[in-house]
This record gives sequence, C-alpha cells and structure tokens, in this order.
Amino acid sequence: MGCFHSKVTRQHPGYEDPVTLASQTAFSVSEVEALFELFKSISSSVVDDGLISKEEFQLALFKNRKKENIFANRIFDLFDAKKKGIIDFGDFVRALNVFHPNASQEDKIDFTFKLYDMDGTGFIERHEVKQMLIALLCESEMKLADETIEAILDKTFLEADINQDGKIDISEWQNFVSRNPSLLKIMTLPYLRDITTTFPSFVFNSEVDEVAT
Amino acid sequence: MLQHITIAEILKEEWFKKGYKPPVFEEKDDTNLDDVEAIFKDYEEHHVTEQREEQPTAMNAFELISMSKGLNLGNLFDAEEVCMDLREKQGLHLNVTANEIIHKIKEAAKPLEFDVHNKNYKMRLYNLKAERKGNLNVATEIFQVAPSLHMVEIRKAKGDTLEFNTVPHDSLITISLHFLNVSYC
Repeated sequence: MGCFHSKVTRQHPGYEDPVTLASQTAFSVSEVEALFELFKSISSSVVDDGLISKEEFQLALFKNRKKENIFANRIFDLFDAKKKGIIDFGDFVRALNVFHPNASQEDKIDFTFKLYDMDGTGFIERHEVKQMLIALLCESEMKLADETIEAILDKTFLEADINQDGKIDISEWQNFVSRNPSLLKIMTLPYLRDITTTFPSFVFNSEVDEVAT
Repeated sequence: MLQHITIAEILKEEWFKKGYKPPVFEEKDDTNLDDVEAIFKDYEEHHVTEQREEQPTAMNAFELISMSKGLNLGNLFDAEEVCMDLREKQGLHLNVTANEIIHKIKEAAKPLEFDVHNKNYKMRLYNLKAERKGNLNVATEIFQVAPSLHMVEIRKAKGDTLEFNTVPHDSLITISLHFLNVSYC
C-alpha cells in the first residue's frame, strides 16, 4: 500500500484496487484501469464525488441528465448492487463484466431476467411486460391500439410461458432465450474488448508496479 | 487553369503519404449479417422466386423492448453510433403492406445510386459510388409488429460512417419510412 494508492482512495470513495477487480472479473488489470478512466468521466459529470448518480448515468446514456427512462432505471438498479442509490467503481466494473463478450451466457441470461422482472418477484409477469412494451412504444412515439398490444403479449406469452400460468419463470426464460438468441444482443458490448485503446490510462501503471512489490 | 486537387491525386502525393495509414474498416461485432448473407447465397444458387405471401418475421414483445435507448449501454462509450431519428410525426398509416415498403425503399434508393437486392423481407443496398474505401452497405429487414405496422431494421455494414450520415435525410431512409414511426439507434 503505497502513498499513491491512498491518494487515490481519498479522491474517489468508491475506488477499488484494480488488481482485485481484475481477479474477480474477465478484465485484465489494464482494462480495469481503462474502465476507471471512463468511470471518472461519468462520475464527475454532475457532482465530482467519485460516484455515479442516477442523473450522471442518464447524462452518460442519453446526453440528457433529466431524461427518465424505465429501462435505464432498471439497469441503474442492477448496477447499484449495494442498493445505495449510487454506483461506485467496484459496482461499475462488476456489472460491466456481464456485458463482456467473454462473459457466460448464463450470467447474461440471469441479468436480463432480473432486468425484466421489475418488481423482483422472481417472475416476469404479463403486466410487467405490458408496462415495458408501452414504455418502448412511447419512447419511439408509436401508438398502438390496446388490442394490438394485447395480441403481441398473447403471442409472446404463448411462446415463452410454457406452463401457461401467466408469468415467465427463470427456466422458461432460459428456454425462451435459447430459442431467441437475439434477445441477448443488448448484453454484449464489443467496445469492452478495445477498452484500453479507447481509454488509454497512463496514470495507474505505476500503481500496478507498487502493488507488485 | 487552376483546378481543385482530387482525392485520388492527394493519395498519390508524397507529403500525404508520410505517416499515413489507410483506414481499415472493420465490421463492428454487433453487425451480424450472417442471416442476410445466407439468404443471398441461396438466391444466387437456386434463383427461386418465393411468393411474398408469407408474412415477414413477427417480433415478440421482448425484441421490441430490447430496442430501447435505455438498454443500449454502448452509448456510455461515446461510440460513433449511427443514430438516425426516423420518426415521422404524421401518425400511423395503416394498411401499408411490407411489399409497399420494399417498393418505397427501392424507389428512394434509385436517385442515390444504390444498388438494391432483395429477397423476401431482407434487402441489401450497395452504394456503388462510395468515394472512400469500403462500399457503404446497408442491410435492412422488415419485421411485422402488428398486422399493419411494420418495423424496418437498418444495419450499417462495412463502410464509412461519415458517408452514411451525409445521405440526405429526405432521401433513402425517410422517404421509404414515410408510413412508419420507427426509431433506430
């Protein structure tokens, strides 16, 4: 623990040691350092406190800090693993790990299940899907008659809800996704492979040397 | 008589060549055109003209939901996304068939010198006149959201983002999507 490390900890309350994070995830140490560069720019955009607030997340995603979106809210909530209302660096790296091209399909499927299970009951219920569908249509400024929406839901549940109990459980979801792999498209960010070139980090190389000794 | 130097001539100049690395166009991983490729390979081999009476692939609720901007974390990386807002504020026009949409896309593509190939509800547009290396190719596929509401998915294949952005909005894409309220991001 060199004095360089504690200087960083003072500035960034959520900061975690890149070596530890690298060992817990699919990222290399330099990739974690590159992610820190990204994290710094997002977390300082509204309030420079080393943490990503909901507003800063919205700003990064939509270029508009006031933009409310139920899907972004779900993602934020899933990133905020400790339920503190903010995302620290460790949360950020561990969550993005699931989006890495090398992350397991299982982890990605789990993430999407939690994403769509909005009230966390362990089931994706029809009313939740309806709510999300309406939100999407609203976002795209599309209007569909209620019967049409119901028809889309009918068709979806016919395919996904195998035991026809009106809700989708995790194994039905796994089954459904294996038949519709495009549903996992949102769960892979190819940018994560080139992260060290997109966000070159020169500052922390010395940190790695310090820890190594 | 003074003339502007052409791009071809610039590429030959010594001063330009110093330290110049020609851009390599790589397909972004998430542009998977395997399905479009497969269709066209088939087409060339068998030359089967299928009746377009079959319906285009229907989208389920989750495929629609996946299109939300809030679920596209690529935006966190400030990547150069081809983000075109294709919303037509004229409201829904019903009774537009997928065939009419295909026809409209072809019509719009003509003056822009795009070569259009289509098979069922998948189409490929080739820009034959692309100035930069790497033809600008656009792959589109039409999905059915509801009996009279269709979604056109547009994927940019190999090519120069810049060129794609300068395709005039009132041409290829928006004319062909006149009847649709579609947001592509």
